[in-house]
Amino acid sequence: MHIADGFLSPEVCVATGVVAAGALAYSLRQLEQTVSSRTIPLTGMLAALIFAGQMVKFPLPFVPAYGHLLGGVLAAIVAGPWAGCVAISLVLLLQMALFADGGWLSYGANVLNMGVVGSIGGYAVFAAVRRLVPGHRGIVFGSVVAAWVSVVAASALFCIEFALSHPGGGFSLPTVVALMTSFHSLIGVGEALITGGIISYVVAQRPDLIDAAARPAGAVAGVGRLVGIGSVAALLIAAFVAPFATEGADGLEAVAKQAAFDSLEHPPRVLVLDDYSVPLPGVGLSHQFWQRLSVSVAGVFGTGCILGMTWMFGRLVKRTLPATEGGHGG
Amino acid sequence: MSHASVPILKVEHLSYRYPTGQTALTDVSFLVGMHEVVGLVGPNGAGKTTLLLHLNGLLTGVRAATPGPATSPEPAHAVEVLGMQVVPANFPEIRRIVGFLFQDPDDQLFCPTVGDDVAFGPLNLGFPRDEVRSRVSRTLEAVGLTGFENRVPQQLSFGERRRVCLAGVLACEPDLLALDEPSSNLDPRSRRRLIDILKACQAAQVVASHDLELILELCGRVIVLDQGRIQADGPTRDLLSNERLMRSHGLEVPLSIQYGLEAGVRPVSDP
Amino acid sequence: MAVDFLDRYSRGSTWCHRWPARLKIVLTLAVIVAVVLLPISLWPIHGCLACLIFAAHAVADIPLSYLLRRVALLLPVVLLMALCVPLSRGFSGGWELASALVARALLTFLAALWLVNTTPFDRLLAAFRQLGMPRSFVVLLAFTYRYLFVVFDELARMRTAQRARTFGRRSPWAVWNSTVQLVAMLLIRSLNRSERVHQAMLSRGWQGEFRTID
Repeated sequence: MHIADGFLSPEVCVATGVVAAGALAYSLRQLEQTVSSRTIPLTGMLAALIFAGQMVKFPLPFVPAYGHLLGGVLAAIVAGPWAGCVAISLVLLLQMALFADGGWLSYGANVLNMGVVGSIGGYAVFAAVRRLVPGHRGIVFGSVVAAWVSVVAASALFCIEFALSHPGGGFSLPTVVALMTSFHSLIGVGEALITGGIISYVVAQRPDLIDAAARPAGAVAGVGRLVGIGSVAALLIAAFVAPFATEGADGLEAVAKQAAFDSLEHPPRVLVLDDYSVPLPGVGLSHQFWQRLSVSVAGVFGTGCILGMTWMFGRLVKRTLPATEGGHGG
Repeated sequence: MSHASVPILKVEHLSYRYPTGQTALTDVSFLVGMHEVVGLVGPNGAGKTTLLLHLNGLLTGVRAATPGPATSPEPAHAVEVLGMQVVPANFPEIRRIVGFLFQDPDDQLFCPTVGDDVAFGPLNLGFPRDEVRSRVSRTLEAVGLTGFENRVPQQLSFGERRRVCLAGVLACEPDLLALDEPSSNLDPRSRRRLIDILKACQAAQVVASHDLELILELCGRVIVLDQGRIQADGPTRDLLSNERLMRSHGLEVPLSIQYGLEAGVRPVSDP
Repeated sequence: MAVDFLDRYSRGSTWCHRWPARLKIVLTLAVIVAVVLLPISLWPIHGCLACLIFAAHAVADIPLSYLLRRVALLLPVVLLMALCVPLSRGFSGGWELASALVARALLTFLAALWLVNTTPFDRLLAAFRQLGMPRSFVVLLAFTYRYLFVVFDELARMRTAQRARTFGRRSPWAVWNSTVQLVAMLLIRSLNRSERVHQAMLSRGWQGEFRTID
């Protein structure tokens, strides 16, 4: 997940650095102004924990490889979005300064993608799901959905940064987005499983640790609902509608054109079926095909996994929490 | 020396429940005089640490209603340090007076270097930088770690880390020390060194420990705590040699009493 | 100690290790910016920079095997990302950009690796503060670095205990489950510890503001 130096142009590094510094400064201010001075050691400890947790290997099912925790959403749920963002930034800086993981110039972009979007954005999604699903089950559902969304959103953001770094640089942006997001939707499934597993264990053992922090507080609650519902909707739309809507390399233009003219003449469904009947291996592998296929795979697979996981965690939580349900919903 | 005219610590009818509803302390009352060293013994879960955490306001229990006829509403605060109630307004002053040594040195050693850590307390008390520096070197010398200012905690042994913690507490020059298991996990030499440091210390002390030999050696008076209540309070030798009392609260008569060795006198010659 | 991998070579004593940290940060960043800014068509310059970086590693006594191992770990990720470019055009172009990306990523990585392996973290931290990083962030970084060692020790102890209790082959599900439990337990313990650390800070008069001796 760490962006190495060399992928982003210095201009983009500076721009993302400025945005990340602003967000980080705001988060730090929020931390310092919290009522309880407890958040300061909590944030540092959480950063140390996530650093260590990222080194624990999780065996992946069916393939002989390992996955690991990223932790943005986990940190945000345990300590709140601002502390989560700061904790992830601390982890990223330590990894950069101890192991050279993640580029020095790309630090801003990494903070933006994983700390700001991963933690604050992830928390917004989490808060939105918590509104919809009450009780401890909502906490676990929320963590699963937010973890997946945060990973995919971070990868999409990386693609945008990458595209801005290489204007007119010999690749098609929608396809790169499609490839990156479909690849990261798999990583996201791992992250969602790990985060959901950890959160459901903690909720079962020490619900008090999560409850205090998971109460959507102040500004984030309101913004969280909007951003959360918005981003979930946007992702679902991106996953399901994007392959049907983007025609050709220039997606936006195509959408506009289609919306204006094409849809009047013939519905897009037909058009897509026409295209899909073409590809034979090696012959018709146009980039549109790759693009549609991977975006669809990302969307359908990701959404299916999320549904499956929420169902599974629902059962797990139901089993481990006989009586402590209810009374926590917003 | 015990029960001097102005007690440094006064605990009256202190009761505390955990947030989970479990009772931790019930109607605990005792006084600690100036320069008095009091032992606090009892089985695991007796409430020793919980009681210590009340001494500087880290936990705030309630004053239990006194049994008998209802009197005028009592002040709600059960703990007083040098006549000051342990309430948030007094916390800065009380935390200067009461020094707290935690059981796990890693909980207390949170700064990147030994020097920073020992300086943490004095800096918070607002002393000028020069005074802080001299206090750091003075207290490090007192615990036998002269010149350790730039060492990092993860490279120290357990005993050294505990002594750095003690230095961090002593640097605030407290008048009352709350010590939670000061000798746990120490090898005999580190334990002996710690006892010597504590003996040289002028502050009043409340020592919670399972190490009854240490209690016998350090404390003139001991409080037996079990199930959140004070079960006995009196001279150390009398209580610790009372076999029935010790047995019934999960403790043992120390070997040095069983075998008639005087506390503090080491029969084996020390090279 | 289980965690000496955190600073393996940075506590060496070569000529490079003795340079001031600020100078090394500025030098490394200059090399990185040069690698990123120069067009890849000027490849001889990149080659010279590569030689410079390797020479610096050699002077700092950083073994080649370590460099190769780290590069071997980084390379798959970089290749995968870079391959997205030609893949997006059905392998009909974009190879120049992809190879430029790989070359730049490797060179900048090696330069950064030299910096972090010649400068211990506490020196870097002091340099960060001198270079204007906000004090609260520096303090948090120092705190996190301090507790990395404690958390890693705790993790190692828990793993040993877990290994002592498990025998024979286990199903992937059981392995997964026990790993989740391991991290979750570590989380709970760390949160409990942060509570105790907070109490210890309050006990020494902390009121939410960090002061430093210098």
